[in-house]
Amino acid sequence: MPSQPPLPPLLAPYLSAQPEASLTLVSSILGATSNWLTLRFLHASLSTSSNLNASLGLGESHNGSKKVVLVSFLRGWEFWRAEAKRLGLDLARLADKKQFAFVDGLSELFSAPQTVNAMPSVPSIASGPTRTSLPFRSQPGAVPGRGPPSAAPALAMNNDNLARSQTEQGIVKKLHFSGRGIAALDALERDIASVIQLQKSSMEDGEELLLIIDQPDFLLAATGPVMGIGATEMAEWVSGLQQHVHATIVTLAADSPLIHNASTSGHQMATPVESEHAAFAISLAHRARSVMQLRTLETGAARDVSGVLRISRGGGADDSVEERELLYYIQRDGGLSVFGRGES
Amino acid sequence: MSFRKRNIGLSAGVDRTAIPNAPAQPAPESIPGIRPSPDDGRPTTSTGTPSLDNLLAGHAGLPMGKSLLIEENGTTDFAGALLRYYAAEGVVQEQKVHVVGVPEQWGRSLPGLIGTAESLNDKRSDKRKDEKMKIAWRYERLGEFGAGIAGSRDAPAPASTGEQDGKPQAAFCHAFDLTKRLAHPSITNMTFTPVVPSRESPFTAILKRLQTAIASDSPNTIHRIVIPSLLNPTTYPPNACMPEYVLQFLHGLKALMSAYATRVTAMITLPLSLFPRSSGLVSWVELLSDGVIELCPFPHSSDALAASGGATSSEEPPQGMLKTHRLPVLHERGGGSDQNVGLDWAFILSRRRFEIKPFSLPPDEGDKEAQEAPASGGMPKKSDLEF
Repeated sequence: MPSQPPLPPLLAPYLSAQPEASLTLVSSILGATSNWLTLRFLHASLSTSSNLNASLGLGESHNGSKKVVLVSFLRGWEFWRAEAKRLGLDLARLADKKQFAFVDGLSELFSAPQTVNAMPSVPSIASGPTRTSLPFRSQPGAVPGRGPPSAAPALAMNNDNLARSQTEQGIVKKLHFSGRGIAALDALERDIASVIQLQKSSMEDGEELLLIIDQPDFLLAATGPVMGIGATEMAEWVSGLQQHVHATIVTLAADSPLIHNASTSGHQMATPVESEHAAFAISLAHRARSVMQLRTLETGAARDVSGVLRISRGGGADDSVEERELLYYIQRDGGLSVFGRGES
Repeated sequence: MSFRKRNIGLSAGVDRTAIPNAPAQPAPESIPGIRPSPDDGRPTTSTGTPSLDNLLAGHAGLPMGKSLLIEENGTTDFAGALLRYYAAEGVVQEQKVHVVGVPEQWGRSLPGLIGTAESLNDKRSDKRKDEKMKIAWRYERLGEFGAGIAGSRDAPAPASTGEQDGKPQAAFCHAFDLTKRLAHPSITNMTFTPVVPSRESPFTAILKRLQTAIASDSPNTIHRIVIPSLLNPTTYPPNACMPEYVLQFLHGLKALMSAYATRVTAMITLPLSLFPRSSGLVSWVELLSDGVIELCPFPHSSDALAASGGATSSEEPPQGMLKTHRLPVLHERGGGSDQNVGLDWAFILSRRRFEIKPFSLPPDEGDKEAQEAPASGGMPKKSDLEF
């Protein structure tokens, strides 16, 4: 199998051109995760070589660079940084250049106050490979953006981890979920919006801001109607965020129990997790311009195929989306090849 | 793919064990029980079960910072055996083992140490050598066929395992005997976190304790989090199954493990009979785990069938099927490209080992009559065949 460029030609048109106010939905399942595709979206938007392609006339709408804000609920900064590095993207550097911002929905989403209190001896934590991601934030949530002057002096007493945690502090905005219902969602939206605004403040003409929300469905599953958050609220939350940016990409899980149990054909009542998830996924699919579905091969695992990528039009599609079904294969070194059925 | 050598021996995953000339044991580790993955060099630790280590997508161990969910159908406790090996391995490696939800008796029932995994293998292969004709000595170092699934990384070392040398080279994985009890000085290092029923989430206190324990410890200590039978109603209060509680807990656990990505691993078991995979909650539990393995023990009625499953009489019959739904690291990157994925695995639990090997259907012995029927009935005579 020949190795393909980081953005395989078959995939490139779907990754690079996102029209104004469009929503792209990426669905994944347990055995076919979407991280690689998210990384390709990052690469298509951030890599300078893709601008080169644009200058060669491969993508017309691709004038000027893009900015990306990535909100991830299931994976931390370290993961994205390391995996992007394998693609040749230095996210930390891009964040310094204000081209990229990461919003961390993993580390302290539900457990912020405890960790802060549980760490009375932060400065004495030794160095080493450990990543002390328990920074002390003076007031969680009180500082809207990333005010560098307020965060820096507090960290100055640490010597070894200083540089690292400081950059991390500068790049990563950590989300905290507190309270319940719409108020809690609004707080999250404000946090993300503040990051978006900060990116926008340094935007030049012709630049576009892309928002990637990685698995917001987890937020729905982990709160649910008991805490006053249902599919409707989540869908509104997403559209609220959409208003701040040029284009939005949302990834979510589409495992069969989460989608199909909600339908009446099931032999038993659907649980709230299932019904809310299905409603959320379907409402997003109806609004999306395109839906990129990832799943494994129906015929069982194959040695040279990782899964199937199906691109279909969503409810909000125009004619510019070409529907396709492709196979993809992720090599051990992280390389990707995308091909049609029967090709290799 | 075409640049890859194709003709390098078919047995299990040679391409990943790779570079046969490279030292099988990497440079001495500062921390015992941790070794870099042959795949990408990230630190890994042993699950205490060599064949499970080999199953984990070429890393030959559980990568640090990752969690493994073991689901089990039925009322058997094979997953519990895996969990005990995992905990016992942690004790022997002097890692800190945090057990959630079970009383301290659980810790007293850990299987006893009988040596390193290599020593057991050696004994076994010695026995094998006596019994079997030697075919080609140069294939020997590739390991027994099917025994080491991802190629046994430890086989090539010329019989210089810890025990005989007296000067032990730090072993990565040990062998345990389920009928014995583990006696090790560091067994007292295990901590047991009970589940205290409360009106709020019963998990908040657990997570807090884990966080404090790991955060306050020295950065060189390795931690193992052991969660037997998650959500089992005999240990967990009814409200623990509420998605907002258990999913927030698992999310917090994930956050904890990514914060201390080089120091923590976790293994969780889940009874599938109570929480079937077809439910949305279990889907989320799986999605929040880095590795998902399902055990399907054979019902007793099929013992007869299973008994004939071994290719030879000397092999033990498999006790169940094992399915890998997600493997750490591999699937996080997108999946595929591992030849262990999608294969049918069978497992055998014996007194001294939990073995996972490729499953193959036995020849159908019940069909003998059918085979013989035409022979006796009317084996075509020679004259019929000639024209």
